[in-house]
Amino acid sequence: MTDFFTIELSYSNYHLIFPKIIASILIMIGIVLLVTSLIKKWKAKKLRFQFKFFSENYDKVKIYGTIILLIVYVLTLEIIGFVPASIIFMVLVTLLYIGNIKKKSITVSITNSLATTIVIWYVFGQLFDITLP
Amino acid sequence: MPIFEILTPMSVLLCFFGVFMGIIMGAIPGMTATMAIAIFLPLTYALDMIDSIGLLIGLYVGGISGGLVPAILLNIPGTPSSLCTTFDGYPMTQKGEAEKALKVGITASIIGGFFSLTVLYFFAPMLSSVAINFSAVEKFLIIVFALTVIASISKGSLLGGIFSGLLGMFISLIGTFTDNNQMRLVPPGFEDELVYGFALLPVLIGLFAIGQLLQEAEEGMKAAPHQRIDLQKGKDKNNKFSFKIFKNQKVNVIRSSLLGTFIGVLPGVGGSAASITAYSQTKNFSKNPEKLGTGEPEGVIASEASNNGLIGGALVPLLSLGIPGDSTTAILIGAFLLQGIQVGPLFITSNPDLWNGIVFALIIANIVMFILMFFSIKYFAKIVFIPKYVIFPIIVVACVVGSYAINNGVMFDVWTLLLFGLLGYIFPKIGVQIPSFLIGFILGAEAEKYFIDSLKGSGGDLSIFFTNGPIAIVLWVLILGSVIYAIMDSRKAKKADVY
Repeated sequence: MTDFFTIELSYSNYHLIFPKIIASILIMIGIVLLVTSLIKKWKAKKLRFQFKFFSENYDKVKIYGTIILLIVYVLTLEIIGFVPASIIFMVLVTLLYIGNIKKKSITVSITNSLATTIVIWYVFGQLFDITLP
Repeated sequence: MPIFEILTPMSVLLCFFGVFMGIIMGAIPGMTATMAIAIFLPLTYALDMIDSIGLLIGLYVGGISGGLVPAILLNIPGTPSSLCTTFDGYPMTQKGEAEKALKVGITASIIGGFFSLTVLYFFAPMLSSVAINFSAVEKFLIIVFALTVIASISKGSLLGGIFSGLLGMFISLIGTFTDNNQMRLVPPGFEDELVYGFALLPVLIGLFAIGQLLQEAEEGMKAAPHQRIDLQKGKDKNNKFSFKIFKNQKVNVIRSSLLGTFIGVLPGVGGSAASITAYSQTKNFSKNPEKLGTGEPEGVIASEASNNGLIGGALVPLLSLGIPGDSTTAILIGAFLLQGIQVGPLFITSNPDLWNGIVFALIIANIVMFILMFFSIKYFAKIVFIPKYVIFPIIVVACVVGSYAINNGVMFDVWTLLLFGLLGYIFPKIGVQIPSFLIGFILGAEAEKYFIDSLKGSGGDLSIFFTNGPIAIVLWVLILGSVIYAIMDSRKAKKADVY
């Protein structure tokens, strides 16, 4: 059994030993998990593959809207700079979450975005000299 | 005063600010102490180590304590560890004793906090003086022991938790292995960006903050059902808070603080377990157990004393062995690493100022927490009514700034933030557990280093992990004990589910 308990060591592949071990354990556990969940389904006689990703009645507009706005925000950061990008992003995302375009919501979103952006820009960028996009 | 030789006025001020922000974050349902620390982490780059300690400890204490506000007022635990506060806190609110409940909770919190601080002060140096002689083998086994934590925090599926932890480890291995400078697991085209793998901070705040945001967005950012709460109905004398309540609760306070601290020392059992254990023990020993759950200060005391006791307890393994006790201390490790400080057995002896700084910061944070909350609880109570559509956009911008700034302006880190934010949203849906994943991610690189070092010493012989002396055996016993305990516990939970 000594062979089983010994690992070939050579300097040039030190970096591969550990990932290989973890990957093989991962695959083993993955298979066990898959099999047990299939057995459970078999026992419950529900072999149809039903995968519910979203919760019931999920808010399509808000979840996709958030993801798209996040990506666009990060993309625009380097093009138009931190302050304008953040102000635009925050106004839009706040309006998305409030869910209407009444006068009051617009006031709330603009106040919130201006205040936050300026405070962050001042505290991080000016006071602490941290690099901003 | 030696306290001011170590702590600068700036660090005291930051500690004050940290507690204040922590209470606010803790009081907002859905925000946790963990998230509070994660979001403020970027601010610490610009600070001295000692100043950032003040801020982070303040956030930790404030974040855990703030959780009692929505627990008592809305029946929503602000942080997982204030779960049991709802059992008696909310009924007290319904009886019109909200202010009394809040003040009882706050007082119990500070007692628990100081209790655990004492334990930390005496116990951590002892533990690290033992750990100082550890070789790579023992260090690797300690990391394995820390990983068994995953078994006890995994909810529902033990194997799923282990899978999540290993997945986190695997992801952490992406990049270069420093021993022989070879790159591995890097997808083609990303060789420049992933030389050092994914940066810790964007991974952390992505998983927690952005994941939470997407989760809330899916549910439509609904406001919690708020009601107008009268902090103190009527002028009945019984409804008023007085310290006399604690007169008959001495045993309860001490037992709960002790349990909280002890559970905190065990790696990874976590905040909610501490308060649940303390609460159930209080119920077992109570003179009138049937009254608990109907609005008895006794229950609030048990829960709050134990969850603040947890703080000092969780710092014991962090500062003496370098392993995180829960997800909050896992982020604290990240903070230390950012400052270039390795937490581990040598930490206390080689950084005495820092160690004293941490202890003093804890003292100050607890006192500040008490004063702030006790006298202005009425105003903090209003925080629970801040709408989510105001909070979340602020958090996104703060997270983006933090990720960008971590390595002085790397756009790839912001994309990492988004990627792991998306993963933080998808993971719970496919059964991957985020806290386990995170612990694996943080410990992965260390585990690999000590594993390879141990093998180098033995020429590749794996039996070195069993034959390396008595400490290794003790560690194996601990590892096995922890795993068996977790299995028993999850069986018990499953049985309880059936009935």
